Parts: sequence; C-alpha cells; structure tokens
Amino acid sequence: MNALKRKFLEVLYSVLPITFIVLILNFTYLSLDFSVIIRFLLASVMVVIGLSLFLIGVDIGVSVLGNKVGETITKTNKISIILIVGLIFGFIISIAEPGLVIFTNQTASVTDNQISSSTLLIVASLGIGIFLMIAFIRIIYNIPLYILLFIFYSIIFMLGIFSNPELLVIAFDASGATTGVLAVPFILALAFGISRMKKDSKASEKDSFGTIAIVSVGAVISVLILGLFNKNQNLTPAISELPILETRIFYPFFVQFNSIAKQSILAILPIFAIYLLFQFLIFKLSKRAFVKIFKGFIYSFVGLLIFLLAVNAGFMDIGRLIGYFLAHNDYQVIVVIVGFTLGIVTILAEPAVHVLTHQIENVTTGYISKSSVLVALSLGVGIAVGLSVMRLFNPAIKIWYILLIGYLIALGLMFIVPKIFVGIAFDAGGVATGPLTATFILAYVIGVANGTESSNVILDSFGMISLVALTPIITLQLLGLVFKIKAKKGGL
Amino acid sequence: MNDSLNKNNLTLIFVIVYSKMASKILKYSKKCGISGGTIFYGTGTIPNNKILGLLGFDEVNKEIVLMLGEKEVAYHTLEMLNVKFKLYKPNHGIAFALPVSQILGSNLFSEERRENKVEKPKYNLVFTIVDRGNAERVIDAAVLAGSKGGTIINARGSGIHETSKLFNMEISPEKEVVLIVCDSLKTDQITKKIYEELEIEKPGNGIIFVQDVDKAYGLYNNTEL
Repeated sequence: MNALKRKFLEVLYSVLPITFIVLILNFTYLSLDFSVIIRFLLASVMVVIGLSLFLIGVDIGVSVLGNKVGETITKTNKISIILIVGLIFGFIISIAEPGLVIFTNQTASVTDNQISSSTLLIVASLGIGIFLMIAFIRIIYNIPLYILLFIFYSIIFMLGIFSNPELLVIAFDASGATTGVLAVPFILALAFGISRMKKDSKASEKDSFGTIAIVSVGAVISVLILGLFNKNQNLTPAISELPILETRIFYPFFVQFNSIAKQSILAILPIFAIYLLFQFLIFKLSKRAFVKIFKGFIYSFVGLLIFLLAVNAGFMDIGRLIGYFLAHNDYQVIVVIVGFTLGIVTILAEPAVHVLTHQIENVTTGYISKSSVLVALSLGVGIAVGLSVMRLFNPAIKIWYILLIGYLIALGLMFIVPKIFVGIAFDAGGVATGPLTATFILAYVIGVANGTESSNVILDSFGMISLVALTPIITLQLLGLVFKIKAKKGGL
Repeated sequence: MNDSLNKNNLTLIFVIVYSKMASKILKYSKKCGISGGTIFYGTGTIPNNKILGLLGFDEVNKEIVLMLGEKEVAYHTLEMLNVKFKLYKPNHGIAFALPVSQILGSNLFSEERRENKVEKPKYNLVFTIVDRGNAERVIDAAVLAGSKGGTIINARGSGIHETSKLFNMEISPEKEVVLIVCDSLKTDQITKKIYEELEIEKPGNGIIFVQDVDKAYGLYNNTEL
C-alpha cells in the first residue's frame, strides 16, 4: 500500500458517513429531486478525491515549508525577525483567506455597510498578524497558554459589555472564518517548527498547539474594537430567499467554477509566495527538495479546487433543502436530531481537522490518538449544531447567553486539564469551522430558519459558527480530563 | 549467534511496519509473553516505483516497535508475528532480533551480564527508555559520566505498570528513547550514572539496556575503527 492509497481510504471512511446520513434522510423523511441526489453523490466522490489530493499535498508541501520556515526564523536567534515574520505572515495569509473575504462581505451587508468590507478585512488581518506575533513570543518565552487565553478572553468580555450582542456574535463568527483550510496547516507547521527547537521536550510538545487559538482570539478582538468606533450599530438583517431548485445535474459545477478557482488561487498564493521568497533568499534547497514541495503545492491547489467546487455546487443546496423541508413540516425534534447527526458526520470530512489530528498524533507519537480526538470533536460539533437549531425555535435563548456560559466553562476547565489539551482544544475550536461546516451545515441551519416563521434568517444563522467554534473546546478539554484520570500509572 | 551465550540471554526485537500497525503488534506480542514495548515513528521509502516517485509519493509513514524479551520468548514471538502479520509477504513489514548484553531497570529480568565473551567489543550502544520529558536528564547524566552526547527519539510505549483503556482504546504513555554510542570502557560508568540520576531502580521509571557494537564511525576522539 502506498501513501496515495492509504490517504484515499482514510478520506473515504471520513466522507462515507455524511453521504449515508443524507441518503437515509432522503429515503425516510423527504424525497428530494432525483437530480439533487445525483449531484450530491457526484459531489461526494469529488470530495473524496479532492480531500485526498489536498491532504497529500499538505503533507509534502505546506507542512514541510511551515516547519522549515519556523526552524529557520528561530535559528536566526533574533526576536525582531521572528516578530516581523509573524506580523507579515499573519496579515498576508488572512487578507487573502476566502472564508474571511466572504465573511466580511456578509457582515458589511448585514450592518448596512456602516463598516465597509475592506476596512473590516484589513483590520481583521492586521489583528491576526499582531496575534500571530504574540503567539510566537509565547512559544519562545514559554508563556503558558492558559494565562494568555485567560487574559484575552477577559478583554473580550470587557469589550463585549460595550458592544451590542449581534456584533459580539459576528466577532466570534470571524474567529471561525479566519482560520482557513490552508492557513491551519501552515500555522500549525510554523508553530511546530519553532517549538521543536526547544530543548525541553515536554514544553516543545505543549507549545506546538495553541497558536491557532491565539490567532482566532485576535480576529474576535479586532472586530470588537472596530465595532467600538462605529457607534451607530443598528444592524439591519438582510432577507434570504430559498434558492430556486436547479434540476440540471452538472450545471452548478460550471457556474461555480470561476469563483471557486479564484478562491483557491487566493488561498494558496500567499503561502506559495512565501515559499518562493524563502527558497531564493534563504533556503536554497536542492532541486529535488524544491520540486517535491512544489508538487505538494500543486496537489493542494488541485485538491482544494475539486473539494470546494463539490461542496459549493453539490452540498450547499441539499443542506438547505433538508433543513427547509424538515422545519416546514414541523418535525421540530427531528430537526434537532438531524442537526446533531449532521454535525457529527460533517466534521469528519473537514480538511483542517485531518491536518490537526495528524499533527496531534505526530507530536505526541500516538499517545493522543486520532480516533479519541475525533470522537470528542464530533460530539462537540454535533451539540453545537443541535443547539443552534434548537435556538431557532426558541428565539428567547440569545446566542450570547450560550457563548458566555460556554466560554466560562471552557476557561474554567483550562485550569484542571493537562496543559497540552488546552492548546489542542482551543486550536480545534478554530479548526472545526472549515469550509464544509461553513457551507453545508450553515446551509442546513439557514434552511431551517427559512422554514421557521419566527426566525430572523441571517442573524440567527450567524451564531452557528460561533457555537461550532466553542463546543469542541469544552469536549476536547473533557477528553483531556479523562486522559488525566485514566493515564495514571497503576500498580506503583 | 554466539554459542557462548547463556540460556537466559536477552534479546531485543525490532519490528518495522506501516503506521497504525504498531499497537496491534504490541498487543499481540504481549499475548506471546512479551512484557511491554516502545513505539516510535519513522519514514520509509518505496523503491523501484518510477511513477510514484515522479508524483512525489515516494515516502511512507512507518512505525517501529522495540520489545525486550528472553531469547526463547523473543524467538517464539518473532515466529508468531511472522505468521499472524504475514511478514513473509512483500511489503508487510520486517522484524528482526538483536542480542542485548546488559539490562538495568526491569524487575522482570534480573540484572545480568553476558559472560564468557571471547572478545570484548570496542563500543556499546546504550538504549535508555524513560517518560517523556526526562531524556534531557539522561543525556546530562551520560555526559557527566563521559559520553559525548546522545540522540533522543520521541516514542510511546507500554509496560506492565501502564495500561489503561479509554473507550476500548489503549492509552500508551509518552516515552523518549535515548541512544548513546560510547566506548565500551565507559559503558559501566555511563549506565551507572543514568541509573542513579533517573532512579531507574524504582518500577516504572525507565529501563536501560546495552548492546554490543562491532564498528563505529564518527565518534570524534576515536578516529580508528
């Protein structure tokens, strides 16, 4: 068995559950148009191919590059270089991040363009740059992650008092949107590259995680600060219509191709530019090593393109149709259960999740196994989706109540779980909200909102991303607690 | 093998397999009488496949399992592994055994030395397996005792004291393997120093074992073979 086949099988097993659940739903509660189902099946096959290629590409390209860059800047032994690199990398990775671009456009339209999308994009990217810098400082000077996170979340709570609740929710959504599919592996590898230079292996292991967490917090804080300067915060919700049913099977793939291609190029370009820059100025790798990483970039790009195309053209409308149909027919309990189940299976096929779990296994040499992380993560996301759907039927439950209580629990747990799980958990929060969640699950929630009269479509569906970013933090820390209790040496 | 080895001789088993297999190997070996093992990651190559090489897929992830056992048990385990995991087929992994000359820190095997050795080897390879985070202390101790340094490998492992389960998955604690190649004259003082510093005599604190090395290059104060 070679690497290609193994990766392919691994991805196949993680995409099959979501395909089965949708098919089962189709044959039990709803009967969707034949063309939609065929398109969904076609898209599932494309997701498997795209995701396999993407992950292989990340393995031999982006991750290798991130490790090398991390090592190289640490070896310079100059704090100024590390800080400048952190600031610039954070900025250029996020300013081109497709998820963030879409998010800022949406936010601008919801807020009636009081905050222009380009201002929001620049501010959020700058925030991410500054926080990536802080994350690097933390690794080098051994600042414990939980103390930093505690300070940052206190700042967020303080800012939250002066902001209106809708903006707070938007800000938390931003944290999910910033950590895109390519940014995650690159940032993880950078952090690993820097921290593995440490002599103390326990610390180096711990410090490999937590960088994504700090970066996500950066996005929240910068959006909230921006909100303070815009006193007139009357958020006017946009109206979202149910899409017209497209019965042509292949047509949506062609329609979406241009914009998806643009997104994929934008996502990979900054990291590729960093690669060329480092290769010609600093690394001067041998031709063989250069070509290999280059191939990795090509695989990642092609894989990402196929994956995003499949998800946008084949998964989005089916998610929305399922949600709309179930809610419209008043199957409230089933809507929640389906939401929970979709949350559980969707996260398995999320690209960045594969990268994170792989990294966790590598860093801990299999001590924290991929499957245990996936169980906790899936449960977390399932609960999040279930909660967001439940909330649509009970508008009295405000999203920020849940966020407040949730983050208080998450912050409290930080003090008792093994420290490596703090980093992993908060990283997973940022990682869980990838392109599949942001399209398929979001579409499902929007569909449910469309089918429920009492709900305000855009505002209500916004909070879903923040919840998906929150619950894994809690469930993974609980996993850490279980490890702590179970892993005690017996018989001594 | 050398005929002069006594019957209780200890043997180190190496098994190199594709990733995800190591836990199964270790579990099965325990059934065969092995008391514990240590697992670490490696990368292997796929030779003679031009297409895969061209595509850039010429590397695979491997896992390496280290297990100690008495010679009889070890050979039995190797045979069983060979059958169970079909190692005789191509691309199913490899397993081999090497003699161990000295062991410290395991209460299963009494401390013993290989005697009657006709010719003492010039070098020794000292393996020290400790909990994650302690490898630096091992190297510090070894350097104090005259070693030139060491190599640390991140690993996970399980011995008889450390097995717990989580949703039917075994949790194997994180370990570090330290490899030190040294002049055989210094072996005793190095192992003794590590033994004292790391309190190896207490169960669960680690294990040290020594192998003979016939040839060594690159040890900079010994230019000749």
